[in-house]
Parts: sequence; structure tokens; C-alpha cells
Amino acid sequence: MALAVLSIPIGFFVEHEHAVFPWHRIPSFEAIFGFFGTFVFIFATVLLSSFAQKKEDFYD
Amino acid sequence: MISPFPPAFLFILGALLIPLLKGKLKQAYLLIMPAIAFFDIIKLSPDMSWSYSFSGYNLVFCNVDRLSLIIGYIFLIIGFLAIMYSIHVREDGQHIAAFLYIGGSLGVVFSGDFFSLFAFWEIMAVASLFLILYQRKKESLSAGLRYILMHIAGGCSLLAGIILYTINKGSIAVGVIEPNAAYWFLLLGIGLNTAFIPLHTWLPDAYPEGTVTGSVFLSVFTTKTGVYVLARCFPGVEFVAYMGGIMALYGVIFALLQNDARRLLSYHIVSQVGYMVAGVGVGTALAVNGAVAHVFNHILYKALLFMCIGSVIYMTGKRKLTEMGGLARFMPVTTITCIIAALSISGAPGFNGFISKGMILQSIVEAHRPVLEIMLTLASIGTFLSFIKLGYFAFFSRNYDMKSKEAPVNMQLAMMLTAFACVLIGFFPGILFKVLPYQDIPYHPFTPSHIVGVIQLFMLAGASFILAKAMVVPHNAVILDFDYFYRMAGRGLIWVCMVPLNALRKKFQLFSSVTVSIISRLAKNPVSTIEIPIAYVYQRITKGTRYTGGYSSSDTFNENLYRRPVGAGIFFAIILFLAFVLVYFVF
Repeated sequence: MALAVLSIPIGFFVEHEHAVFPWHRIPSFEAIFGFFGTFVFIFATVLLSSFAQKKEDFYD
Repeated sequence: MISPFPPAFLFILGALLIPLLKGKLKQAYLLIMPAIAFFDIIKLSPDMSWSYSFSGYNLVFCNVDRLSLIIGYIFLIIGFLAIMYSIHVREDGQHIAAFLYIGGSLGVVFSGDFFSLFAFWEIMAVASLFLILYQRKKESLSAGLRYILMHIAGGCSLLAGIILYTINKGSIAVGVIEPNAAYWFLLLGIGLNTAFIPLHTWLPDAYPEGTVTGSVFLSVFTTKTGVYVLARCFPGVEFVAYMGGIMALYGVIFALLQNDARRLLSYHIVSQVGYMVAGVGVGTALAVNGAVAHVFNHILYKALLFMCIGSVIYMTGKRKLTEMGGLARFMPVTTITCIIAALSISGAPGFNGFISKGMILQSIVEAHRPVLEIMLTLASIGTFLSFIKLGYFAFFSRNYDMKSKEAPVNMQLAMMLTAFACVLIGFFPGILFKVLPYQDIPYHPFTPSHIVGVIQLFMLAGASFILAKAMVVPHNAVILDFDYFYRMAGRGLIWVCMVPLNALRKKFQLFSSVTVSIISRLAKNPVSTIEIPIAYVYQRITKGTRYTGGYSSSDTFNENLYRRPVGAGIFFAIILFLAFVLVYFVF
């Protein structure tokens, strides 16, 4: 867990070997991506369940 | 020195022996067969093709190259482990179905021509159906029917593609397809087995309804042979690459919402196969290597996940996350192996998923596909989130009513061995790199930025997930998928048959029965001719209905009444066809 927390400052010192796209040069970009990515999923699942979630016997 | 034999026939012919053996001997036989087949394919070399001439075409049963060999290896490794997991099953039929299924998949992998590929493809579809039906529940029967209907449709499309391809090209050898009419039929047929969106609905529908042990086999073979054939026929196709990205995201979003544990895993098959499909679609040497490595790794951890959840279902009878919980105390082996599998599928460093996902992402970056990179990275966040959900609600959430024992020894052993393989490849990827299709493609999995990046991704995703935990608590509900449209179309078709067409049939039947009755009456007694118009007019006046000569039109449609003659007709057609084949080959 401590290692996981430390990974963000460490992220400022490791460079992406194959920086091809601009976001590969942002330090600790994965942390930002992971944070916002989760909200993308929460948003997507809430949106999907708003119209596609039905009772279990829906098809019977 | 015994010369090698096409491995598919070892299993397909070997299945015939299963009913003759009993007890420990049968169990030993079931376990030895994959081992024999493994030594058999090690001995295979590219110059043994087992080719036969069949009405002007060359049937090739053993097309050996690095691509078919690596898939053959993993199919046999997991075949052995899954058979070990299911060794306690007493029903011969399940073992026979599993053997035919393994045999069919190996046949597809090693066949060098489209005709034998198609034959093995169909053996696979039919054999796997029985692994679902043996669950012997109403839900599995109907899920099995939907499963086989979709696979027959896919098989027809594949066959149409093969015929068009053969007409155009004059050869039936499996190879890269050029864009023409055959191209789309083949892509549709193969895409159905590879769970392309929106043809994927058979997968999350049927896999959770299979038997506990059968689902382990199901999770391995069908989609992976699909990826293999895709890699043979459609490498480097743009459409396929983006389809992979869509599958990866789509599968994971649906997985997050599932309550049935095996349905959650099934949606993850769609998602993970998306990575492989994306790799095949990018088509560079590194990408195809990555896709094949991901096939190898995915088979291990996905089968392991199905084994773990299978043993929970086997021991507790509960299949929904809302009913599980607190199992970590009772099933330590299952819990630990399940965590290993969850970390592997998420791609945590030190587990096998890390290696192959990294290869695919690296190849996508090198091929300059930014959108695809974002899609797949996003999907890996979703994968991690849904496995926090699965692990937490199955094993760690509070459930004081839950009491259980650890699974039988053979199941535990199979799970431990599979988990060991996941970790082994995670730490020593060189074992896997040695057997990949393209050699000398440099790839270094353990770079600092890759490891740090993955840890950051998971840590932040996990942290924000805890904040939003309420959103993902499982509910007793179904999430409608594309199968809603298929089911409604199916219901519409049945309605058209039952109501308008059946009414038309009844009208014709009534008309002809009345006519026949009048004629037969005339033939019996011409003098009574005069009575008919009288009876007709009498009935019209007194009752206001039509004269029907004693026949009623109110009989409802009884499907079984018409099933038997159709069945008998098909049966005789098959007998006739077999007789024709016999005559053809003998003379």
C-alpha cells in the first residue's frame, strides 16, 4: 500500500521509454487517468442501468 | 517409434472409449489423454500435413506452424487442468462432450483448409451445447437453444463465406482473405464465435447456465479458436482493431453491473477477447505476438476464475453476488487462487496479464492508434474495478448465514496448479516468449514506467472506487443487452407463425376437409346430395354459423403434433445422405 502511494512521486522520475503521444510526457499521467477513468465508468453504468435495468423475471 | 497423429482425432476417437471404462481406470484415462496429446504435438513438425485429396480439393488435417503450435499447447495444458477439475463428475456424457469439444477446437487450430475447419467448427458448437444442457434446468435448456441457434447462424455464414471463397479462388487453403463478398461472410461467421458486438449475446447468456465444470471448458475454447482463425485470416484489418476496442469497453461496462458471478466473468471474456482482437487488428508482429500471448494468459486466468466461482457454486449452491459473501473464512484456497486470477486479469505486475496486455498496448502505441490506446487503458481500469467488486462481494462482504466447506481435493489441486502457472509466467515471461509465433521481436515487460504506471492506475481507480462503492453494490436485476432485440424478433417470428399463418392454415384445412367430406358423402350415397344444401341453409338460419360437416376450426396449434413428421423426415434424409457418402467412398 505504501508502495502504491509512493508510486505517484516516483512517477515524476521515471520517463516513458516510448513517448509517442503527448500524454506519455505528463508525469504520473496514469494516476490522473485512473482517477477520472473511474468516474467515466460510474457515469456509464448509471446511465446504462437507468434504461436497461429490469426486474429479473423480465423475459418470463 | 510411434509417428505423430492429428491431435484432434486423439480426442474425438478417444471420447468413444470413455463409456467402456469404470472408476479409477476411467479417471486415469481422462487425465492421460491430454498428456499423450501434448507429447504428440511436441513431436509434430511442419512437414507432416496429413493431407488428403477430396473431390479435387486438398484436406489438410495438420497444418503445423508456430501459431498453431502455441494455441495447441495451451489448449492441452488447460484441457488437462479442466479435466482434473471435473474428474469427480460421474456422468460420462459430460466427459464425452468435453473431449469432443477439445478435439473440435484442436481440429480447427490444426486444420489447413476451410472444409475441415468448418467441420471441426461445428463439432465444437454441438459438443459445447451439451456442457450447457447437462445442467438440466429450464434456464439452461432455453439458454442452450438460443446458444445453438446463434452458432448455427454463424456457421451458415461461415459456410457461405467458404463456398464463395472457394469459387473465387479455386483453393480451400486457410490464409489471409482479400476484401470481396466472401470476406464479409467469413468475418461475420468468425466474428460471432469471437463475440463481436452485437453478435456476442450468446456468450453471457449461455456460459452462466452451463454445468459448474462445463463452464470452465466453455470459457476456454470457442472464443479463442475464433481469435486464432481471425489471426490467420484477418490480420491487420482496421475494422477488426476498433471492434476489439469496442468489445473491451462494452464488456467491462456490462460486467460492472452484473449480479450473477459467472455472467460477470462472461462479460469479461468479451472484454478480454477485445484486447486480443485489437492486437490481431493492428497486425504488426508485436501486436500478433501480444494477441497470442494474451490468448495463452487469458485462458489460464479466465479458466481459473470460472473454477473458483464454480467451486463456490458447487459448495454453496449460490450463484448471485447478493447471496454470497464471507466465504474467505471457509474457502481459503478458493479465495487466494481467485485473488491471483483477479490480479492476473487486471494486469497487475508479477502476474501473467501484465505481460501480454503490455505487449498489446505497446504495439498499439507503436502503430500510432491513440484512440485504441485510450479505449484499452480505460477498459483495464474497469476490469480492475469489477474484480474488486467480485472479490469483495463473493469472499469478504459480511454474511453471517454463510457456511461452507472447501471444494473437493481435485478442484483445489486444479485451481492451485492454474494459479501457479499464472504467477510463473508473470515472473518468468521468457517461457512464454520462447513459443510465440514471431521470434526476435524485442519486448521488455518490466520497465519502470510500465510498472509504476499500472500501480498508479490501480491505486487511484481503487481509491475513487471506494468513494463510489454504493454505485456498484449488486442488485437483483437483469441488464438488457442486444439480445433484447433478438428475443423480441424471435417472439415476433413466433407470433407471425402462431397467429396469421396458423389462421391461414386452419382456413385451408377446414376448406379441404369440408370438400372431402362432401365428396365422400356423395360417393357413399348420391341420394343424400339434396340433404347438404338443406343442412347448410338450416344451420345458417338456426345457428348463424357455417356448415362444416362435423369438422371444427377451434383446435389450437399443438407444436408437438407437427414435430414428429418433420423429425422423421430429417432422420431419413440423414440416413440417405450417409448411405450416399458410404457409396461414394466405397465405389
